[in-house]
Amino acid sequence: MSAVLLECHDLVKVFPGVRALDGVGLRLTAGSVHALLGENGAGKSTLIKVLTGVHSPDGGTLTWCGEPVRLRSPLEAARTGIGVVHQERNLIPGFSVAENITLQKPPARRGLVDHAAMTEPAVACLTELGVDLDPARPVRELSVAQQQLVEIAKALHTESRVLLLDEPTASLSPEETDRLFGVVRRLAGRGACVVFVSHKLEEVFALCDTVTVLRDGRSVLASAPLAGHSHDDIVSLMVGRAHTAAGMRPRTVDRSAKPVLELDGVATAGGHRDISLAVRPGEIVGLYGLVGAGRSELVKAVLGLDRVTAGEVRVHGSPARIRSPRQALHEFGIGYVTENRKEEGVFLEQPIVRNITVTVWRRLARALGFVPAGEERAVAQDLVDRLGIRITGLGQHAGELSGGNQQKVSLAKWLAADTRLLVIDEPTVGVDVRTKRAFHELIWDLAHDGLPILLISSDLAEMVTLADRIVVMTGHRVRGEVDNDRDYDRMSGRIIRLIHDRDEVRS
Amino acid sequence: MTTSVSPPDTVPKERTAGHRMPFWVNQRLGLLVLVIALSVLFGVVRPAFLDQRLVLFPLLRDVATLTVVALAQMAALSVGHMNLAVGRMAAFGAMFAGIGYDKLHLPMQAGLLLCLAAGAAIGAVTGWLIARTGVSSFVVTLATDFALLGLVSLMYSALTEDAAFTTRPAGVDALRSYSLADICAGPVCGSPAVPQLAQFTVLAMLGLGFLYGGTRVGRELLLTGANPAAAELSGIPTGRRVLLAHTLSGLLAALAGFMAAAGTGTFRASIGDDFMLPSFLGAVLGGTLLTGGVVSVLGTLLGTALVGVIRKGLDLLGVGLESLNIYLGCILLLALSADRIRTVVSYRKVVRST
Repeated sequence: MSAVLLECHDLVKVFPGVRALDGVGLRLTAGSVHALLGENGAGKSTLIKVLTGVHSPDGGTLTWCGEPVRLRSPLEAARTGIGVVHQERNLIPGFSVAENITLQKPPARRGLVDHAAMTEPAVACLTELGVDLDPARPVRELSVAQQQLVEIAKALHTESRVLLLDEPTASLSPEETDRLFGVVRRLAGRGACVVFVSHKLEEVFALCDTVTVLRDGRSVLASAPLAGHSHDDIVSLMVGRAHTAAGMRPRTVDRSAKPVLELDGVATAGGHRDISLAVRPGEIVGLYGLVGAGRSELVKAVLGLDRVTAGEVRVHGSPARIRSPRQALHEFGIGYVTENRKEEGVFLEQPIVRNITVTVWRRLARALGFVPAGEERAVAQDLVDRLGIRITGLGQHAGELSGGNQQKVSLAKWLAADTRLLVIDEPTVGVDVRTKRAFHELIWDLAHDGLPILLISSDLAEMVTLADRIVVMTGHRVRGEVDNDRDYDRMSGRIIRLIHDRDEVRS
Repeated sequence: MTTSVSPPDTVPKERTAGHRMPFWVNQRLGLLVLVIALSVLFGVVRPAFLDQRLVLFPLLRDVATLTVVALAQMAALSVGHMNLAVGRMAAFGAMFAGIGYDKLHLPMQAGLLLCLAAGAAIGAVTGWLIARTGVSSFVVTLATDFALLGLVSLMYSALTEDAAFTTRPAGVDALRSYSLADICAGPVCGSPAVPQLAQFTVLAMLGLGFLYGGTRVGRELLLTGANPAAAELSGIPTGRRVLLAHTLSGLLAALAGFMAAAGTGTFRASIGDDFMLPSFLGAVLGGTLLTGGVVSVLGTLLGTALVGVIRKGLDLLGVGLESLNIYLGCILLLALSADRIRTVVSYRKVVRST
């Protein structure tokens, strides 16, 4: 029987109006990989913050190796031996790899940081992870995956025996994910406990041995062996009822219809070459590729945020020169639901009503630009009802909503504007199973009602579920196009072959 | 300025989640209570404080001017920028009014218009530079401040003999010394404490209240301040909004410069020298966020009034200028902390009841 490292009973954490944690039990044993699952808003992030000393719990007990502990700050948690790698990167870009790794315990001599002595422990941590990185390189030059590994190395340096990984694979390619899994297994083999938070159940089943499921702030399954549960068991524990895969309304696309948006041999200042694609009314065209393939950049160039240097963009058949997102919206009726909802999608510190009506003020405005508050609220309320956005009031700030609801708000503003073409970029990253499902139905229904949609996603399952055609992009070029027959295995084979071909050409 | 001045409709300014926090967390209410309580306190300790002609009139004249200065800062803050050149823009605007009266013999209104146009123009140039180059407003307005410092002094020494325009057209003196007591409807006259100069403040507040509370452009200014990237992608012309915010800032600064000049009777280069700190104090005390996206027109008035009342009251209590500044600093720190304490206490209350 391996040793229990961290244990908690009946943890309670209260925020205004919500009991974020309401009786959570968790036991982390040495040498295990523990899955922490739950929908958005179930309390995973809060639990992580309590375990790492960001929040202090309002009730319950926390014990470390059998002794009760109080973690007053993240630094104290790190000194106790609890490390965390958050979803967002938390490194100092201008500092070197070694400086970042040793940041919490810098080697010092007479009160001054000893730069020479940094390299050795940093290299030791990196070697332990099986990573080959130059410790003197500034972190800003590294890829996202490499930065993540540096953060894990940073946790190793503080001798973390419990390592919390919050959605570590969200922005990794399949190969990078495999590498990360290798690292996680090695850490567990050394007697650490790795807590793995993810929405991707396939990964959880491939990697973890024990599992805790949170629902509405309670642990509905506390530290149970994963082997005894099936995929469906876990999903129904998470959503609280049997998960039924309801069929979607059948949808047909008129392939002879004139395309709403057409790119013909487009090249951009950002490095895209010879991009051609077309989106017809009621059609969902998928733009698939790995992170960094240049998909969002392509859309931004078409919307006027970067220069289109060659080729032609046609909207409703006539050549269009779009100079700004504003012109795209008001002249061409193109809406862009951004990938990065926190930075580019919603106004976190602003009321929901403004977040939704920002695109229609021009239409609502009377003399002197006066916007009647009543009409504004009516537009917003209508969309809140239509999309089923869960809010306490239209004046609530968007930042107080869960990720899925924020994403709905970000979509709502384009629906309010009655756009004639919608570009949806990574709609379900960091969104839980149920909301994901609801989102898929929403997108499907929009297309069913005749709206052309260009869907960007790195989630192949999502592509196969939604898209009618899938355009595959790598390295700022279109590699090919496949008609979707909704058979996941066949589709993934064909798409991966398209991506793979290019690698052969290059080598 | 004790007349009720309420901007139309709801001016957006909830910094806390209004739907959950109790009403007494409202920052403006706290300020109002504080202003009244301090006035009563000073009035009781020094009855002279409530002398309408000798104390309240000049106090309210200062508050009226500084409120416009703070509104100028608020306009820049609304898009998440700042205007370090408010004082110098005020001097720049006032200089044009002075030239207009002294050299061109313009009537009062025409000089005022010239002053406002000059302020708006210099603000627009600043805004254009910021929007166009992407250099931070801090740097650009700091540079503008230095440039104007030199330019304004140079112009005064070139155009005047004793570094001030002293020609005053009809009406300016009235603005300086007339109060509501000079406006009578039959036997009923207004209060001698309220200066007529305050009409400009009221107009500026009504205009900004309507802009930020009721119009599309006002909302777009705030969203540009809240998140420029999301605003651009939502179809807001963020460049033009930044330009507008700085134009407004320059225009209001020039108005404040005119008010200050009319209040002292001369148009000189030193107008606006002490505008910058009060401009931030008034706006921030009133609930405008330094990071943009949230403004409060009424709060700006109350914040400025609070600073004015404290300064005047301590002055009457015989506190010397140096120690006055110490007290002022402490009281402002307390006022700002009180706001934070209120928020934390009410947050705990809500948590406990959950």
